Amino acid sequence: MIIRVLDPTNEMKAAGGQQAVRPATLKGKTVGFISNGKEGTKGYFAALERQFREVFGVADVVWRTKSNFSAPADSSIVDEIKAWQAVVAGVGD
Amino acid sequence: MINAAINFADGTGVKPVQLCVTCWLDCASCRRDTFALPLAAVQQLNQITLTSKAYEVEDFAAAQELYHSSGWTDGLPVVPPTESAVTACLEWALMPPDQLIGIEPVREQPITAEKLAINAVMAGCLPMHFPVVATAWQAMLKEEFLLHGVTSSTGGSAVLVIINGPIRHEIGANSTFNALANSDRATAAIGRALRLSLINLLDVRPGGIDRTTLGHPGKFSYCLAEDEEDTTWQPLSAVRGIPEGLSAVTVMAALAPRQIMNEWSTEPREILETFAAEMRANQRHYSIYGGNYVIVIPKQLREPIQAAGWTKRDIAEFLYERARVRRSEWADVGKGAVVRDRGETIHTALESPDHLLVVAAGGPAGGFGAVIPPWFGNKTKAVTAAIGACVDCERG
Repeated sequence: MIIRVLDPTNEMKAAGGQQAVRPATLKGKTVGFISNGKEGTKGYFAALERQFREVFGVADVVWRTKSNFSAPADSSIVDEIKAWQAVVAGVGD
Repeated sequence: MINAAINFADGTGVKPVQLCVTCWLDCASCRRDTFALPLAAVQQLNQITLTSKAYEVEDFAAAQELYHSSGWTDGLPVVPPTESAVTACLEWALMPPDQLIGIEPVREQPITAEKLAINAVMAGCLPMHFPVVATAWQAMLKEEFLLHGVTSSTGGSAVLVIINGPIRHEIGANSTFNALANSDRATAAIGRALRLSLINLLDVRPGGIDRTTLGHPGKFSYCLAEDEEDTTWQPLSAVRGIPEGLSAVTVMAALAPRQIMNEWSTEPREILETFAAEMRANQRHYSIYGGNYVIVIPKQLREPIQAAGWTKRDIAEFLYERARVRRSEWADVGKGAVVRDRGETIHTALESPDHLLVVAAGGPAGGFGAVIPPWFGNKTKAVTAAIGACVDCERG
């Protein structure tokens, strides 16, 4: 017997966002690090900053930390992103 | 508000009701200004047209393979969501298919009644269960619940649902034997409906949005009803501001229950000290930070506490004082690295007595109880919502 069943997924997708244009090089750029606030991001981001500066010639690295590790970045941080050319967002469990 | 008449499916016939055109429910407390809606428009609810994509499968087994292979299940078989079964849920709740239950705030994903009803049917819900599922979702979508955080975190909480009010009897929820597990059809299906709808409507799949390290069995279903008849205490929903006599659900991002036992005392302080010790253990071994905790107190431990005249408020104030640890205790359990220079800081399990949710439930015998800890401190708050009321309405 044929059964007609329905799709349980959300077919009405949210508008969502678009991926930013990828920079061709990091040389001379400003990169933002957004930590979720956990301990593990400190050592990882510090090592990453060294590599970014020494290997890729990044000009500046801006560190920011979310006020709630399980919520989206605070609006004040999001506003700052416009001034950066790349962002690294990390979980530091 | 508009006056209308509804032919109730429970056999009680046509009754005059007041309808809120925002929530479409019989909502006597709604004070929102509304526009007149002809009775004919209400009757159109009986001609529901669903818009979800439909699939034709050969039989029940083929339906299972379709849903499993598409990643639409929790690993267990599902009830095939046919148009008639989904429509029955919507009719019971007087919800048109496109009624917006809410919008998930982080990814701005709309949740509609039709999609929620499909998942409820899959979970095994009967139409009469659907208003509970819909209200639980409305509560989960409140900003303070932090739905994205609690469903994506490595911490691995489940959504605990606690049902209060007359609807417990209508749906056949059992508050006694095995209250936190497979106690009855209604709570099993309602709890499962929340998990399936999280999977399918918000992509909360393991390894996808759901980044949980371990999780716990409550992620299949985690729902109980309070035993309001066999206690002198106020129902949880009334403690949390819902008028007594109304049905309500409370949702909380919760870890697995930690069972305690004290069969050797009838003195309230001694019994509650066992609960306090378990809360302190959670602070030491899991998270030291304060948040909502649930304690479930079955009859054998409940009766001596009640007989001594203790209210839920008395219990909350006692546990607020007793469930607290010094930060230096973290060094005793291998977490000395994060004590630093704050060893003398006192952390309370509850930020205030108001944050304790005391629930009367469980079988009649056994000196057991349960402590249900929060997912992580105060990042999320438990939310209570009345069933059959507009969530935006002001209460007079």
